[in-house]
Amino acid sequence: MDSQESSRLTAPLAHRVAEDADSHQIAAAINALWTDIEAALQPIVGSRGVAALFKRTLHLAAARHPWLAPLKPGNDDAVDLGQLTALFTAQQPALAREAGSALFEIFRELLATLIGTPLSERLLQTAWSNSSRAAPAQDPKS
Amino acid sequence: MTSKVTINSLSTGVPGLDDLLGGGLPEFSFNLIAGQPGCGKTTLAHQIMFSLATEARPALYFTVLGEPPLKMLRYQQQFAFFNHDAINRSVRFVNLCDEAMAGDLDRVLARITEEVAAHEPALVFVDSFRSVVLATQGDGNTHNHLQRFMQQLGMLMTSWQATTFLIGEYFTDSDANPVFTVADGLIWLRQSVQRNAMVRKMEIMKMRGQPSLPGLHAFRITEDGVKIFVPAANSLISAPPYAIDDRASMGVPGLDEMMNGGLPRGYSLLLAGPSGSGKSILAAAFLNAGVRNGETGVIAAFERRPNRAHNKELAQNIEQGRIGVVESDAADVSIEEVMHLLAQEIRRLKASRVVIDSLSGFELALGPSFKDDFRESLLRLVAALTGLGATVVMTSELEDRYTDLRFSPYGTAFMTDAIIVQRYIEVESRLRRVMAVVKVRDSAHSDELREYSVDDSGIRIGTLLADQEGLLGGRPATRHRTVPAIEA
Repeated sequence: MDSQESSRLTAPLAHRVAEDADSHQIAAAINALWTDIEAALQPIVGSRGVAALFKRTLHLAAARHPWLAPLKPGNDDAVDLGQLTALFTAQQPALAREAGSALFEIFRELLATLIGTPLSERLLQTAWSNSSRAAPAQDPKS
Repeated sequence: MTSKVTINSLSTGVPGLDDLLGGGLPEFSFNLIAGQPGCGKTTLAHQIMFSLATEARPALYFTVLGEPPLKMLRYQQQFAFFNHDAINRSVRFVNLCDEAMAGDLDRVLARITEEVAAHEPALVFVDSFRSVVLATQGDGNTHNHLQRFMQQLGMLMTSWQATTFLIGEYFTDSDANPVFTVADGLIWLRQSVQRNAMVRKMEIMKMRGQPSLPGLHAFRITEDGVKIFVPAANSLISAPPYAIDDRASMGVPGLDEMMNGGLPRGYSLLLAGPSGSGKSILAAAFLNAGVRNGETGVIAAFERRPNRAHNKELAQNIEQGRIGVVESDAADVSIEEVMHLLAQEIRRLKASRVVIDSLSGFELALGPSFKDDFRESLLRLVAALTGLGATVVMTSELEDRYTDLRFSPYGTAFMTDAIIVQRYIEVESRLRRVMAVVKVRDSAHSDELREYSVDDSGIRIGTLLADQEGLLGGRPATRHRTVPAIEA
């Protein structure tokens, strides 16, 4: 059950990036996915609520990937997506992919801890479905 | 030619609330759910929303400041009414935190208007409204702004055909708050703490065009959500009256004869006696006699150490589902709640016999704030139970006083149709028991004081102590007989 749910959530990033994608493409996909998540959650929990969740996610992710640490700003504003993109672009593709997946996995767990898996899935449905729609365009094999 | 507009009533899905509102919630009404923090406002709002919202009748839930939405979702999903599948389908949450933080009511209103136009909800909730008010304070003209905001919001919602709920924290209902004037409905939730018990009560202070029930009504929040205990008489239908010769056997040989054939059906009987006189045994015999006759019964047990385990027949009947048990271990139970539980069991089992054992235990189980109204509530309870067609036996602890003849400490004697009293007497240095039928309304009955004994098989009614007198004084004297001299 857990692995199934987990794959459903990490899948969006995998869908958005081709297997041979470079760091730029991976960073762009992470940026796009985060934008979709923000769009899905922001009406419900407010922009500050989303920013707070993302900051917590980054804090947890930075434990394994210290190069994410500069993204932990102390102010109330939303996370700087430009900086996020730049940080991922600077990594090797394999590392960028792994860290990106970890980021969304941590986010999934965080939200599920707070409001339960079924409700988090429900709220993020649009973000995931956006990614699956976007998949063919991102997939060079189709 | 006058053709009045029909105001549809929405069934709120909150047990008891429709009765309290006087028949549901008027469609397109503008309502305020108010009360102190933690009294269940948001829970009530969510329960109404999940119950009413459908894809054809969607709901918009605006969260303003106050409780963070994630926390609200975290806690509200614990309730049975919370439906994940409804979210983003028939139920949509909208956060207005940014607009409210700016302290500009016009921006809040503009955003609400925008969302209402986009989603065309039939139900709109604004939680919490109090924070909208607080956010605007400090610019000197709060009252006017708020008044204008309220009127515009009210107008907007009505013309968009939305039934609206504002949820707000208000500490006093005497606030000259413009919200109270504009609102069609005012649902006030209160909670009072006395000793170690907390009691929640709901009051419909206003419901335009509806005969809502006045006064405070107890409610409880369980995992199913809010449940309101409306006064029994308002929610029950009276059963047709029985003929006076339609009798229920008491299950004790000899006692039916003393009552001219048993307890008339639909009657309430008060069984009063001192501790250990066998009241619970007699009450159990009454229920068991019903089961032997193919009837079902319900027992409300408030005795601290119920002796049901010792009464094999009763225990068996309970186990086989012929007798339902109503128990409450909460420290803040109300008579209405017990009535609700009893009515539920009576309907479920189609029960014709009800026992409340005992009134003394019942009173102890009540929340402190309910004790003041014990007599009045009990009268309503008895009327409601007999109204359901049940024949009722209530036991009552009777302090043995040999100077006066009392039947109950509550003045309950007048409200019951029949009374049996049990007493201890001393005869020849032995404690013996006597029983008498004191009253059976509109019926002949025995006037004898009969001795009885309690053994493994139950109560046995013995003979008349014809040679004794002054029994009720506790120290009877023997008549027509010389007392044998003890001393030589």
